[in-house]
Amino acid sequence: MKRILYSILLTVVTLEATAQVEHGSVLIKGGTLLTITKGTLENTDLLIRDGKIIQIGKNIAPPQGVKVVDATGMYVMPGIIDAHSHAGLDAINEATSPVTAEVFTGDAINPFQVELYRALGGGVTTIHAMHGSANAIGGQCETIKLRYGVKDPDGLRMEGAPRTIKFALGENPTRVHGGGNNIVPRTRMGVEFVIREAFSKAKEYMEAWDRYNKSKGQKGFRGAPPVYDLRLETLADVLKGNIIVHCHSYRADEIFMLLKVCQDFGVKKVVLQHVNEGFKVAPELAKFGAMASVFADWWAYKFEVYYSTAYNAAILTKNGVTTSINSDDGELMRHLYHEAAKTQKYGALSDDEALSLITLNPAKQLGIDGRVGSLEIGKEADVAIFKGHPLSTYTIPMITIVDGIIRFDREKDPDDMRIYIDPNLPLEETTAADTHTNDVENCLQNAEEAFNYMFDHN
Amino acid sequence: MKKTYLKYVKRSFAFTLMCLSTLGYSQDERKLGPVSRSYVISQATIVQGPGRKIEKGTVLIKDGLIAAVGPNLTIPPDAIQIKGDSLFVYAGFIDGLSRAGVSRPKDDITKEKAKDPGNPTPERAGITPQNDVRNFLNPVDKSVEELRSLGFTAAHVVPHGGMLPGCGSVIFLGGNSADEMVLVSKSSLYSELVIADRVYPNTVIGVMAKWRELYRQASLTKTYESTYASNRTGIDRPTTDRVLEAFYPVIDKRLPVLFRADKALDLQRVLSLQKDLGFSLIAVNVKEGWDVIPKIKSSGAKVFLSLELPEEKKEEKKDDKPSESPFTDSLEHKALEKRRLDFVALHAGQAAAFQKAGVPFGFSTISSKTKDIHSSLRRMIRSGLTEDQALAALTTNPASLLGLSDRLGSIDTGKVANLVISRKPFFDEKSKVQYVFVDGIMYKIESKENEKAAEKKTDKP
Amino acid sequence: MHNLKINFKKAISAIGCLMFAITVSAQSPKGEYGSFALTNATIETVTKGTIQNGTVVISNGKITAVGTDVAVPQGAKVVDCRGLWIYPGMIDGGTQLGLSEVGSDVRTRDFNEVGDVIPQMKALSAVNPNSVLIPVTRISGVTTVLSLPEGDLIPGTAGLINLYGYTPEQMYAGFEGVVLTFPNTGRKGFFDKRTDDEIKKAAEKSLKRLNEVWDMAVQYYKLDSATGSKGVSYYPEMQALLPVVKGDRSLMIKVNASKDIQAALKWVAEKKVRKVIFSGVVEGWRVAGEIAKAKIPVVAGPVLGLPTRDYDRYDKAYANPGIMMKAGVKVALCTGGTENVRNLPYHAAFAAAYGMGKEEALRSVTIVPAEIFGVADKLGSIEVGKNATMLISDGDPFETKTNIKYVFIDGWKVPMVSRQTELYEEFLKREPGVSKN
Repeated sequence: MKRILYSILLTVVTLEATAQVEHGSVLIKGGTLLTITKGTLENTDLLIRDGKIIQIGKNIAPPQGVKVVDATGMYVMPGIIDAHSHAGLDAINEATSPVTAEVFTGDAINPFQVELYRALGGGVTTIHAMHGSANAIGGQCETIKLRYGVKDPDGLRMEGAPRTIKFALGENPTRVHGGGNNIVPRTRMGVEFVIREAFSKAKEYMEAWDRYNKSKGQKGFRGAPPVYDLRLETLADVLKGNIIVHCHSYRADEIFMLLKVCQDFGVKKVVLQHVNEGFKVAPELAKFGAMASVFADWWAYKFEVYYSTAYNAAILTKNGVTTSINSDDGELMRHLYHEAAKTQKYGALSDDEALSLITLNPAKQLGIDGRVGSLEIGKEADVAIFKGHPLSTYTIPMITIVDGIIRFDREKDPDDMRIYIDPNLPLEETTAADTHTNDVENCLQNAEEAFNYMFDHN
Repeated sequence: MKKTYLKYVKRSFAFTLMCLSTLGYSQDERKLGPVSRSYVISQATIVQGPGRKIEKGTVLIKDGLIAAVGPNLTIPPDAIQIKGDSLFVYAGFIDGLSRAGVSRPKDDITKEKAKDPGNPTPERAGITPQNDVRNFLNPVDKSVEELRSLGFTAAHVVPHGGMLPGCGSVIFLGGNSADEMVLVSKSSLYSELVIADRVYPNTVIGVMAKWRELYRQASLTKTYESTYASNRTGIDRPTTDRVLEAFYPVIDKRLPVLFRADKALDLQRVLSLQKDLGFSLIAVNVKEGWDVIPKIKSSGAKVFLSLELPEEKKEEKKDDKPSESPFTDSLEHKALEKRRLDFVALHAGQAAAFQKAGVPFGFSTISSKTKDIHSSLRRMIRSGLTEDQALAALTTNPASLLGLSDRLGSIDTGKVANLVISRKPFFDEKSKVQYVFVDGIMYKIESKENEKAAEKKTDKP
Repeated sequence: MHNLKINFKKAISAIGCLMFAITVSAQSPKGEYGSFALTNATIETVTKGTIQNGTVVISNGKITAVGTDVAVPQGAKVVDCRGLWIYPGMIDGGTQLGLSEVGSDVRTRDFNEVGDVIPQMKALSAVNPNSVLIPVTRISGVTTVLSLPEGDLIPGTAGLINLYGYTPEQMYAGFEGVVLTFPNTGRKGFFDKRTDDEIKKAAEKSLKRLNEVWDMAVQYYKLDSATGSKGVSYYPEMQALLPVVKGDRSLMIKVNASKDIQAALKWVAEKKVRKVIFSGVVEGWRVAGEIAKAKIPVVAGPVLGLPTRDYDRYDKAYANPGIMMKAGVKVALCTGGTENVRNLPYHAAFAAAYGMGKEEALRSVTIVPAEIFGVADKLGSIEVGKNATMLISDGDPFETKTNIKYVFIDGWKVPMVSRQTELYEEFLKREPGVSKN
C-alpha cells in the first residue's frame, strides 16, 4: 500500500516538474542538417515550436512571433549528450560504504555551476550526472538537461528519463574500501562478491516483501512487515529491470565478470562506462546486448588503463556494440565533438558513425532515444549549431538550444555568466589549475580527498 | 591588674577573631529576589504591535503577565516605577533559531574513529532526534545574556549535533533553571543538511537518502505498533527504536520539522524532502530565498529569514599596496564589483521580497554576529522593509508561526510580560536597548551609553 | 645452363627477400636509416612557404635537398608522396613524456624529486627511452618534446628530446633549461582549500626563498669567474644555476596567474636574468602587452583547458595564445601532458580557430619552439641542412580525419607502430570470437 502511495507521489512530482519546464520556439534557416538518422540535408530549415521539432524542410515560412536564426553556411546537429559526467552536482561520492544504492545524485543538483554553461558552449545539451566510482555499487544518477539559467535544481531534471545507477569495478573501489580500511573489496575477487551479495540480499528482501504484500490483504492476517531498507529497495528495482546499470569498468576480465553476474541475476539493461579494454571482449558485449560509453583517447593514468587503445570506440562499433563517447571531465565535455572526431583517425569511422557516438547512442544508453539524439519531427528541440563541420577541429559552436530555448549564443552572451555570486569571496578569485588534468579521473573526486582524510589519520 | 590584662587579652582575641572572620573570606552572594513582581512603565511611547502606538502610555506588569496597558492608567502603589519619558517600549523579540543557553554534550563522539564507516551507530552519525534540548539548557550561559541584550526575550533553541541533533523548545531568555526557561517543551524536530564526519552519511545525498529511509521506516513501525496494540498476542512485538519513535509526532503532523536552510540549494533540497514525505515544515535561517518564494508558497512551509547579511563593502586591508593588480580601475573590476553589490542587495532586500509576495516570516539569529544584528535590520529597512514590517517579523509573525499568539508577540493585557525598552525608537541608528523584561523579570542592559544616560537623568519622585 | 644460373640467383634473392620480409614483420618493426627521396609531395616548409609537387631528400640524418626540380640521388629509397603533405615534426614545449608512465602509480613517476631547490636534478637522467608512451606519441607526428621536472620552486633541469633513440644521448635534442616554479598566488585546483591569507603568505615565503637562492647563485658566479673556477667547492645547486646566471642557459619560469606573471616580470628585470622563457602562462592574455614589452618568449598551454576564473569568458583558454601573439608575444604551444602529447596538433587547431589563425598555430608547434629553445638550426622547418625530422600526412595534420603515413626523426624512418595500433590489429576482428571452436 505504502509503495503504491510512493509511486503515486513520484508520478505527481514528475508531472508537476513537467509543468515547470520552459519551452521555446525557433526557426533555424538554411543550415546543413546532420540529422543522424535520416542523412545530411543541405540548405534545409528546422522549425521548433514549444520545445519540439515540428517541421524539417526547405523554405519554411517563419510563423508569427517566432525567433529566426540564420544558419546559412552552418551545420545543425542534435544537441550533444554526455553519458558520463559529474558536472552540476554538489556531491559525487558517498564513499563510506561499498554499496550505497539508496543515495541519489538528483538530490545534489547545483544549477549554478558555470561548468554547465561551458558545456553548452561546446554544443552539449544533456548530461548524465553520475555518482562517482568509489563504491562497487554507487548511487542512482540523474539525467539532466543543461537549462542553464533555471534556478530551481528540479528544473534541470529530464522529467521521465529512465532511472540509472552507478556501479564501479577495479582499482577505484578496491583502493577506497579495501586499501584504506580493510573492508571488502580489496581485490577484484571482492568486487564480484560485493555485487553478488548485494543482489542476493535484494532478492531475499524482494521475496519477503512480496510474501508480506500478498498475505496482508488476507483476512485475519496480523504479521509485521519486513524492515524497510531503502538500499535493498533500490537494488530490488535494479533486479526488476527498472533501473539501467551503468558500470565503470576497465579490464577485460572484470567486464566479463559483470556480464556473468548480470546474467545470473537476470539484469539485462547494462551500459559499461569507460571500459577501456572493452575492445578485448567486444564479441561478448555484443552478444549480451550491453552498450559501452568510452573515452576517445584517455589512457595510462592508472595501471588498469595501461593496455588501452584509442581504437576502442571503433573496434566496439565495428563489432556491433552500441558505443558512445563520454567525457567524465568538465574540460573534455566542452569538445565532445572533437573527441568523437578522433574515431575517424583511430578506426576510420564515417561521419554519421562518429556523430552517433555523441548523439543517438548515448541517448539509447540513457533510455531517452525516443525523445532526443537526432533531428526528427516530434523529438525534443535540443540542437547545436556549428560554424564549420562539427567533426573538423577548426569548428566553432555558435548556438546551443535546449527545449527550443537558446541557452548559449557565442555572439550575444556576456563574458560573466555566473547566476549566483558568493559575496564573501574575493573579487578576483583565480584557479591556475595544474596541468595534470587527466591524472585522477573525476570519478574519484571527493572520494580521493575523503579517502585520504579518512584513512591517513589512523 | 590581672583582671584588666585578661579583659584586654579577651577583647583583643575577640577582636582578632572578628577581624580574621572578615578578612580572607569572600562571602557567597545571598540570593536576593526582586523587591516586587509588579512594575509600571509610565509616560513612554508604547508600541503595542506593528501600527499600534500609544504616545504617552503606561504598561503595568504583574506576576509575569501584562496586567494592563493604555494611555492613562492608575499607577498602583506596590509597583516599581520606571519613568518612561524618552523611552520606547516594544514587545520582546522572538528568535526563530538559536543555541543561546544550549551547552554542548560533554563527549563529542561524532569525531571518534569508526571501524566500519558504512555502518556507524546513530550517535556517531549525528542521528539523535530523540535528544531533548532541555537536557542541555544552561540559564547562566553568556549567550543568553548576549541575545537578550539585543531585545530578544524568547527563542526557539535546539541541541548541538549532526543532521538530527534532537528536539527543540521555545524558551524564555531568562530564568533561574532550565525548566523555568521553557515555554513550550517540545516545539519541533530539528534538522540540518549537515554530513557526518568520515562516516555514513558523508555527503548531502547520503543525508537526504537517510532522512527518507528513517521517515519511511518510522511510518511503518508506527503503523505496526498500533496494530500490535490492539491485540498483543500471537505476533512479533514491534522493535522499539528511540530514533524512529522520535518521528512519530512528526508523522502525525503534531510536531513540525524545524529545518535549517541557509543557502538557496539547501532550501530547495529541504522543500523537496517535504514534498516527498509530507511533514510540516518550518524553514529557518534562510539567506537566499528570494527565488524560491513561489515554491515556498505552494508548499505551505513556514519561514524564518536569517539576520546575517554579507558585508557591503570589502574591507580594504591596510597592508595592501595601492594597486598591485592591473585591474583595480579597469572595466572588468568595476563590472565584478557591481555584480557583487547587486547580489548583496538581493540579500538585504530578501525580507522585503517575502513581504511583497505575502509570505509571513520571522527572523533567526543563529549565524549572525550579535554586533551586526541591529545594523542588518536597518539595512533590510533601507532595502524596502518598513519598520512596522520589521517589527512584525520580530514579534507578531514568529508568535503566530509558532502558535503562540495568545501569549507572545504584542503588548496586550494577559500576554506574557516580555518587553524591550530602548532609549530611542528601536530602529534608529544610535538606539540602544536599556531594559528587557523576560517573563515579567526586569533585566537592565549594561552599556556605556546607558550609563551615561542614567547619570544625566535624576530620579524624580 | 647460363640462364638457369641467373634465374636461380634471382630466385634465391627473391626468396631471401621474402623471408627477410616475413621475419621482419614477425618481430617488432625497426626504424630504417639511409638515403630517402620523398617525391611528388606538397611541402609545408613553414619558413619558406608551400612547395607543390616537391621532393625532399634525406641523407645522413639531414635534409640535403628541398624543391621542385630535385634529383633523386643514387641508392636513395624513393617514397612516392603523391597526394600527401610533408610538415616539420611537431615540437611540444612542455610535457612529462618519458618521466612518467602510469600517472597514478608513484613508482613510475620520475619528475618530482625531494627538495625545493634542486636544479641539479636532470630530466635527461630519468627519461625512459623505452616508454610505451613514446611510440604512441611519435606516430601522430609529434617528434620532439621538452620534458620537465615538476615541484616547488626549482625542481630541476628540463631536457629537449627527439622521440627516437635508445639512450638519452641518442634522444637529446640540444636544449636544457632550469625550471623555476614561480611563487603561486592562485588556487592550485579544486582541492586547494587554503584561506586567501595562507596562500598569500606561502607565496611571500616562497619568493623570499627564491631571492635568497638567486643571490647566492650570483655570489657563486662571481667567485667562480674571479677564481677561474678554482676557488669554489662542490656545490651542486649553485653549479647547476651557474650557466643560468652566466646567461648560457635558459631559466624556464612556470607561471600562470596574471598577478604572478607580473611579479615574475618584475623579478626577472630586477635580477637581470639573461635568458628567460615563460611556461604555462594560462592568464597571459590579461597581461599580454607587458610580456611583449619584456620580450620574453612564452610556451603556452594547455590550450584545451578550462578558464581560470568563474567569470572568464568560456573560451579564454582557447583564445589565450592568439591574444598574446597579436600583442606581440612570441608564442609556442605545449600540452602539459604525458600520455596524450599526441594531441598537440589539436591544441594548435583550437588555438587557430579561436584567434591565432592556422599559419601562426602551425608555426607555434614548429619553428617558434625551435627558436625559443635555440635549436632552430636543426629543427622546426623543412630546410636544407636541418635534421630530417618530419611527418608525412594525407592531409592537414591538425584535422582528426588526417592520417600520418610516415614519420622521420633524425633521418630515421620511424616504424608506424605502437602498442595501440597492435591492439587494434589484434582485436578488430578477434579470433576466436565469441566461441572458441
